[in-house]
Amino acid sequence: MSLQRSTMFAALATALLAGAQPAQAAEVLKIGISAGLTGYAATVDRAWRDGVQLAADELNAKGGVMGRKVEVVVEDNRSEPQEAVTAYRKMLSSDGVDVFISGCVSAGNFAAATMVAKAEKPMMLCSILPQQASQVKWAFTTLPPAGFEVEKRFEYLRDKTQIRKVGVLHDPTPYALLQKSVAEKVAGKYGLEVVDVESYKQDDADLSVQINKIQAAGAGAVIKIGLGGTTLTAAKNMKQLGSTMLLLTSLEDLAVFKPVAEVLGDRFFFVASPSQVFESLPDSGMKTEIARFLDPWRAKYGDRDPNWASRGWDGVMLTVAAIQAGKSAAGPSVRDQIEKIDGFQGTTGAYRFSADNHQGITQNPFVLATIAGNQVKIVQ
Amino acid sequence: MTSSPSTILRKAFPVPAQPAPRGRLAAVAPWLVAACIVGYALVAGGYPATVVGFALIYAVFVSGLNIFMGLTAQVSFGQSAFAAIGGYASAILTTQHEWGWLPAMVAGLAAALAAALAIGYPTLRLKGHYLSMATLAIGLIVHEIAVEWESVTLGYLGISGVPPIDIAGYEVSSDRAVLIMLSACVVATALAVARIRSSRLGRAFAGIAGSEDAARALGINVARYKLVSFLLAAAFASLSGSLFVHVVGYVSPEVFSLHMVILSFTMLYVGGIGTVAGPVIGALVVSVLPETFRSFRDYQDLAYGAALILLLIYAPRGLAGLFAALDTRRKP
Amino acid sequence: MTAAASGAPAGAVPVPADPVLAARGLSARYGEVQALAPLDFVVGPGELVAVLGPNGAGKSTLLRAILGLVATGGEVSFMGSSLPRRNPAAVANRGVVLVPEGRGIFGPMTVAENLELGSWRLGRDARERQRRMGRVFELFPRLKERLGQAAGSMSGGEQQMLAIGRALMADPKILLLDEPSLGLAPRVMEEILETLGVLNRAGLPVVLVEQRAPSALKLAHRAYLLSLGRLAAVIDPREVQSHDQLAQYYFA
Repeated sequence: MSLQRSTMFAALATALLAGAQPAQAAEVLKIGISAGLTGYAATVDRAWRDGVQLAADELNAKGGVMGRKVEVVVEDNRSEPQEAVTAYRKMLSSDGVDVFISGCVSAGNFAAATMVAKAEKPMMLCSILPQQASQVKWAFTTLPPAGFEVEKRFEYLRDKTQIRKVGVLHDPTPYALLQKSVAEKVAGKYGLEVVDVESYKQDDADLSVQINKIQAAGAGAVIKIGLGGTTLTAAKNMKQLGSTMLLLTSLEDLAVFKPVAEVLGDRFFFVASPSQVFESLPDSGMKTEIARFLDPWRAKYGDRDPNWASRGWDGVMLTVAAIQAGKSAAGPSVRDQIEKIDGFQGTTGAYRFSADNHQGITQNPFVLATIAGNQVKIVQ
Repeated sequence: MTSSPSTILRKAFPVPAQPAPRGRLAAVAPWLVAACIVGYALVAGGYPATVVGFALIYAVFVSGLNIFMGLTAQVSFGQSAFAAIGGYASAILTTQHEWGWLPAMVAGLAAALAAALAIGYPTLRLKGHYLSMATLAIGLIVHEIAVEWESVTLGYLGISGVPPIDIAGYEVSSDRAVLIMLSACVVATALAVARIRSSRLGRAFAGIAGSEDAARALGINVARYKLVSFLLAAAFASLSGSLFVHVVGYVSPEVFSLHMVILSFTMLYVGGIGTVAGPVIGALVVSVLPETFRSFRDYQDLAYGAALILLLIYAPRGLAGLFAALDTRRKP
Repeated sequence: MTAAASGAPAGAVPVPADPVLAARGLSARYGEVQALAPLDFVVGPGELVAVLGPNGAGKSTLLRAILGLVATGGEVSFMGSSLPRRNPAAVANRGVVLVPEGRGIFGPMTVAENLELGSWRLGRDARERQRRMGRVFELFPRLKERLGQAAGSMSGGEQQMLAIGRALMADPKILLLDEPSLGLAPRVMEEILETLGVLNRAGLPVVLVEQRAPSALKLAHRAYLLSLGRLAAVIDPREVQSHDQLAQYYFA
């Protein structure tokens, strides 16, 4: 039995010791990712991670960054804040990462933000920015402002339809809540009226109550804000109710939309990012940039949705641009240089950062699309 | 406490009073292991310190749960609710109303106790599983409130910028200071549980755990003592919630999810239910174990699960019980 | 003690005029099921009353009904004032102490801790507790030897001794025992019944629920015979001459 005990000690000690020695970071540039590889954020964050890895591989194929090989350290935060704190901590103290390019679990990024700021490491995020000024100082995001997805849909309704009354259907995640409040605020600017706001849970299996209410309020379109299988649920419920309302949904994995289009046909629209509608884009700087990403992406992953991965790619390229501009991977230098990025062409749009703006996308890069005959078509 | 013979028996906490012949090493061993783990984290700092820090917070939580589930043999699935009440009270009062951490913590404690009383008083009188169901419900309700009451809790966004605890003007924010503070909390908690267990109160709990009818027949007011046990568990849960938000500086509804309940049950059974050392050693091992398998990547959960199963096969009474068994075997 | 008049027919055994425990129209139900039809039940001062009957006759239910562990109808008075219903702890506080079926000892606890729990009502009076414990050890010397042992690890007979000892620690004014002989070897059972006789002769009223009628009848002053949840007969043990006669009662 003492053998068993000493084995346990040995295992504990080895593991802790292994974790305690910060690897020498002189030869490599270490990018840390705290991602929800399991849990509710898994789909998005796995794509984000693969985009970051793809960018790192591309850079390494060209000799790395300032002669340093790029190494990606990924830690699963299980989509939970407490796990994220542990994951960040491990990457800071044990792996000695230089920068973070972390996934979409906002609560996890918030929970670790103070620690990361204290360590003076910049983090480029998939999620929204933390709320505290001291934390925002070290945090940047590739996420377009919450209003863009909503405004693109309002634009379409204003320009191409007679619909002037809309209902908002949202889940309770922070990003959805932000979008909801934007929708309520800007509707008037587009000559629209939000006649009803309904919420649902990500695991709801029926949304007919909410849809009934929106319909009863006289809405001509449902603005759905939120991810996952609920989009298909909403579409089915609308069909069951014989509703003639349009369904306009948020940005999402294209794979989710095909069955929805089969249910609702031409009454279904969705917000798409440029990389998702690459073939339909006119030639531009952006299209060239997307192609730089999309070619290796497709070579490796086929027709897997490129949206979140493309932002992960952007996150790496922005950080690398900042490192090269400052000729240093030291945290404060990278941070300062990111703030100076003005007009960097990424796959999701042009990024402009400044001291008081850490959300780089300032021009609406989105399009509104529909699926007609199994083909994605841009309508706005 | 009386001076009756039983007080020298079943000593689970290593107070070097009487040289209890055989049980002594068994009683000290889990504490030595715990001290080694914490000591290592203190020296190493960094990431091990974070992992062990969380484990110590859980040790307080699980010790409370152990009073209700181990000492009194009841079941509660909703202890996370009381941790949430404590945690949110601390976070809200310190960030939005500029309270000190101590009054905020006490206010959270009071709120958690009030909630425990409201749920426990009507249900603990009933037989069967009413209480378990009620506790499950309160866990879900509190989670829901944390999500929906956005004007105060900020919903899923969570509350950030919770200040660290400061003691006499000294801010407890460095790894080592946090670990020392949490270790002190755990030792105080363990002493309190040991004290409760050997007190008249603890004997009433043990009587209820043994046989409710027999306890009643001896004149023990079963409903009242169950309620006291439930309140004590809620109090420790609330304190652990407050500690969590001050150590991390952030709180969101996901922190106090059903995941927390499952994790704490694992800690309780792996460590040894009903013992004083069990929750502490359980919290440490269950926190450290998955980290040791982190390098396994995708097989991390598999390795962790296998380790848990092995533990439960070879130490069905928990690690605290395992030490006792080892000790008996050596000196038959 | 009031002796039953000899020669009286079964069912007409005279009851004590000044009972310690008196139940009138006591009935019990488990949910919708009537487990005990209304009956009168009395125990006189210093009496040892046996409650006999086959399995499922309602013997245990009668004890549980007196304690208030089940929903009851009717009324129970003890030493002149009525006992609260559905509040077993309060009943125990009046000195009505039950040794439950299956002994109900606290297995993981030591013998000493079990005995201590018996004197729960005593509070912190250590001297009185020691005195009572001394009395228990006089009756059951073996418990003294096992003081530090886990109660669950003892033999069945020892556990039964502990269960009775624990009840005595409560300083009962009346002792109710639910099948103390269950699962015990005959010799052990005789030893335990003997001790009950000693206690009773010292003036403690005892209610003894038993399936094994002959040994209980040896000690009893009166016996209630239950069958299918009803009172079948009240017996004077001295009238029962043979097993055959008892069997008659059982199957009557």
